[in-house]
Amino acid sequence: MKKSKYYFITLLAILGLLLAACGNDSAGDAGKDSGDTEEETTLVDPEKDFAKKVDKLDEAIEGGTLNYGLVSDAAFKGILDWAFYEDNLDAEILSIFSEPIFAVDENYEITNDRESAAKFEIADDLKSIKVTIQDGVYWHNGEPLEAEDYAYSFYIIGHPDYTGVRYGDDMISDIVGMEAYHKGETNTIEGIEIHNDKELTIRWTEPKASLKSGLWTYAAPKDYYGDVDIADLVTSEKIHEKAIGFGPFKINKVVPGESVEFIAFEDYYGGKPKLDSIVLRVIPTSTIVEEINSGNVDIASFPTNQYTIGMDTPNYELLAQEQNAYTYIAFKLGRWDAEKGEAVQDRDTPLQDKALRQAFGYAMDNQTIAEQFYQGLRKPANSLMIPFFKDYHNPDLEGYTFDPEKAKQILDEAGFKDVDGDGFREDKDGKPMVFNFASMSGGETAEPIAQYYIQNWKEVGLNVQLLEGRLHEPNNFYDRVEADDPEIDIYQAAWGTGTDPNPYGLYSKNAPFNYPRFVNEENERLLAEGASEKAALDKEYRKEVYNQWQELMFEEAPAIPTLFRYELIAVNDRVAYYSLDQFDDFGWEQVALTEEEPVK
Amino acid sequence: MLKYTIKRILAMIPQLFILSILVFLLTKAMPGDPLSQAFRANPNLDPAVLAELQEKAGFNDPWYVQYVNWIKGLLQGDLGISYIHKVEITKLLGDRFVNTIWLGLATLILTYLIAIPLGLIAGRYQNSWADKMIVGYNYVSYAVPLFVFALLMLFIFGFRLDLFPTSGSVNPQVEPGTWDYFLSRIHHLILPALTGALLSTVGTIQYLRNEIIDTKHKDFVKTARAKGTSEKNVYNRHILRNSLLPIAAFLGSDIVGILGGSIFIEQIFGYPGIGQLFITSISQRDYNVVIILVMLSGFLALLGTLLSDIILSIIDPRIRIEN
Repeated sequence: MKKSKYYFITLLAILGLLLAACGNDSAGDAGKDSGDTEEETTLVDPEKDFAKKVDKLDEAIEGGTLNYGLVSDAAFKGILDWAFYEDNLDAEILSIFSEPIFAVDENYEITNDRESAAKFEIADDLKSIKVTIQDGVYWHNGEPLEAEDYAYSFYIIGHPDYTGVRYGDDMISDIVGMEAYHKGETNTIEGIEIHNDKELTIRWTEPKASLKSGLWTYAAPKDYYGDVDIADLVTSEKIHEKAIGFGPFKINKVVPGESVEFIAFEDYYGGKPKLDSIVLRVIPTSTIVEEINSGNVDIASFPTNQYTIGMDTPNYELLAQEQNAYTYIAFKLGRWDAEKGEAVQDRDTPLQDKALRQAFGYAMDNQTIAEQFYQGLRKPANSLMIPFFKDYHNPDLEGYTFDPEKAKQILDEAGFKDVDGDGFREDKDGKPMVFNFASMSGGETAEPIAQYYIQNWKEVGLNVQLLEGRLHEPNNFYDRVEADDPEIDIYQAAWGTGTDPNPYGLYSKNAPFNYPRFVNEENERLLAEGASEKAALDKEYRKEVYNQWQELMFEEAPAIPTLFRYELIAVNDRVAYYSLDQFDDFGWEQVALTEEEPVK
Repeated sequence: MLKYTIKRILAMIPQLFILSILVFLLTKAMPGDPLSQAFRANPNLDPAVLAELQEKAGFNDPWYVQYVNWIKGLLQGDLGISYIHKVEITKLLGDRFVNTIWLGLATLILTYLIAIPLGLIAGRYQNSWADKMIVGYNYVSYAVPLFVFALLMLFIFGFRLDLFPTSGSVNPQVEPGTWDYFLSRIHHLILPALTGALLSTVGTIQYLRNEIIDTKHKDFVKTARAKGTSEKNVYNRHILRNSLLPIAAFLGSDIVGILGGSIFIEQIFGYPGIGQLFITSISQRDYNVVIILVMLSGFLALLGTLLSDIILSIIDPRIRIEN
């Protein structure tokens, strides 16, 4: 009885959230009744219409408390150590008080040119790095940052009792002697050599082309964690309520799951922070816009689905930022051979013909989806290498733009014709083709978007139906996609890419995440080349290789990128400095206010 | 009666045992597991590590092995660790229960403070304009969806009038244990509790009103009036006591009900309690937490009925619990 009651409540909860979003919209737009929906289809251009930073430092006052909104319908977990955290909410909290030891440049590669807690020297053979911790860097408990703190984070991640998710990354597991340590055979990692308090060298078994973007750059306070066994560390309050870092702010108080009070860390190596404190609160998605409007939060992510063009933003400014993620549609072409650890492209399906896959691509109207559902805050995607990676993304790649005539032509030429006159094309042998399309539930736009694609494909004569006539819950969806469920022919999903441009982990035949199970020799060659020593030393070469790869993936179309994403950040008018621009060396210590009280 | 109570409590053991097996099986049957979600989001993580972690966590063992391990821990008072929050479940539940109990008690008290006077007035002055207003309020409060009402309350009293905080259970800047801390908690409580209370009065008002209308035509009331008892005493001593019976019967399940938390209120007011924890634990497949919460609510449901029976037998001498 209890069970069914909760089920009902869950349903209501979902409905409630949908309505809540609507209710909030209308509340926010109360003053705007002249809005003509017909005219509002003009898009915003996130690159041009929004700034990337606010800068009025000349008006800044001393001190003050900034209110930060952490937008979420659930409590945050509060796993506040980089080696253990798992979700974005905790990462947002972490980034206020805990920093990596190196700074990164605009390509998310570590650099010595910006202020940082440590400097590095990479060996010419790309097999080792020498790290020098700078003087004057202190943990929040007053201890100096030392070489062994950096080493300790590797000791934590590699430990046999470590229960976090970061071990398998080859930048960690390929450290000399790491495997033996991970198996519990030794207590020291041979490849991490501590020279003195401030210097250490890390060696890898092979050259690491993406060393600058893939290196683990977080230290762990060894003396502070010292008396806790690594097995117990994950549940220790030292990585929850009492976590420390060496960033500009330190945790003063945590109310579990709902708020954190940070206060300025006077001994921060980059100079004393301008603010006195930051108060971070969890704000539900249903009320975030109202919280921003009423000045209760100074900085918060603004839900893109509540953004409308020409929206009134009386007391705040919206900044936009590209996200390192993309949505895509992919075709199931094979299966995963777990024994060999590789994909086998052997499914008996007309989708093996790349012409058919290309036709699917040209039939999709991503422009309309970006306009109708996202007001331009998502953009039709042209490449599997996203624009986030400025140096490697190829903006000139044509991509699959909406062209149903071309789709029809390709299908006709490839021999997929409608022979029985039912409006749908048959395969080359004249047998009817029906494709099952799997897509995830979540959010009010999931269903209409899936239906719109199906309609698009129908218009060029491709018979696609929603798998089992409905959307699938994300866990269920991924379970089936991973298991190469024969019922699924086409699916829609999304990837977050991290900050390493190397697409090997998603598209190599040896990558379990290669869900389409796409196998292609040229693809393997280019992926290997892109991660080679030569590519690491010669950026132009790597660029050229990834360019070829993007063209190959466009031509072969095992997965077709559909949308690139932007996120919006609302910043109250009293904030004197805040930046999303990766060309800026932004840190929370630079943030300041122009007034004691928020602008309402 | 003590004997009866003990008997009822003993009978709970097999009931809870069966519940535990059912819940355990159903929870494990959900697609996905708590570990794989972190891996799905991030292609830079190694699926081989996922397999290793799943093996370590025992997810590959047959269900009865997992069940026995789990129940062994439970009997030793070890509820295990939340896979998602990475803390001892006892601590996690401790944090959330404190919030839920504060909110639940405040809601319950406000509910009775509102409902009992209104029910009395409506019953005593039946068909007056006051009665009609109260019955009208009752229908409206029954019909209005909680989330709409909660947003409305938040919008008016939180944002427009700026009388109450709009999210959280306490101001993070006050020192725990101080008087200010207590006041801050109360301040954060009033709006969500009032919102919940205004919509949960319907049963109490309706029962009380009907019961009073019913009772005031009973013979003993007429007798009391005939003997010259003042109207005030007729209501306060003769009618009210008899009319409170059904309300008291609900009290047991009400007290238990508040421990379940309210998902909407918690969600909209950003108030981390048990209800919210339950929903997120299900969607993130945090097995240990889901199982414990269902077990707990099962236990509380049993306890609630028992409490109601006991309360009823105490206040109504006609009801006697026999062995």
